[in-house]
Amino acid sequence: MRHQQFLGAGVRTFAISVDSPERNAAMVAKLSLPFPFLSDSDRSLAIRPFGVADEKDERHIARPAVVVVTPRNEEVFRFVSRDFADRIPEDELLGTIQQLKLPPTSQHPPEPGAEEPGPRSLSPSNLKIYFRGARFAAQAMGLRHAHYAEEIKTDSKAYVAEMDRFTDALDWLRDNNDRQPTT
Amino acid sequence: MPEDVTLTDQAGKPWRLSDQLDAAAMVVFLRGDW
Repeated sequence: MRHQQFLGAGVRTFAISVDSPERNAAMVAKLSLPFPFLSDSDRSLAIRPFGVADEKDERHIARPAVVVVTPRNEEVFRFVSRDFADRIPEDELLGTIQQLKLPPTSQHPPEPGAEEPGPRSLSPSNLKIYFRGARFAAQAMGLRHAHYAEEIKTDSKAYVAEMDRFTDALDWLRDNNDRQPTT
Repeated sequence: MPEDVTLTDQAGKPWRLSDQLDAAAMVVFLRGDW
């Protein structure tokens, strides 16, 4: 949804996870991702070299992270999440990248692949239900425990906003993509 | 940070970071294995 704005700010997007190319192909198709989704199944090619493996997780999957690399192969920005639910707000990320004053760029759409969704894969409509449930849980926990620390309130609000963004993105996909399944 | 990275894309094709660096790259790590 914000892909064009990131291209306008001068960065091409590439996603990486431990999942197989087939699972990533299914994710690209389901969410109409406009960028390639790359596989590092054994964690040794990118996840560990970039220092984003979650060593607390026995699978050593990647922590959610964003690294911006210039054409000189210089790292100019890095965000590594505290845990699986932590993300940098999109507006903050875009604003930070815009401050780098990079020239606008473009990106070819990803080539489709042989799709093989994972066994726990959720349909877009079920994803929306999941995000709404996660939103209400975060809101409830924030209200219940806000008196312990201001950080709890801040984190709860950030998580609620994140779930709202994900839900908005699903609605946008539903309204703008003929390929998007309705179930 | 690694000097270069070679991975497999969603279409099963090899992908190399250095081939992409005629512009800046935003590498987004996702946890996966849901």
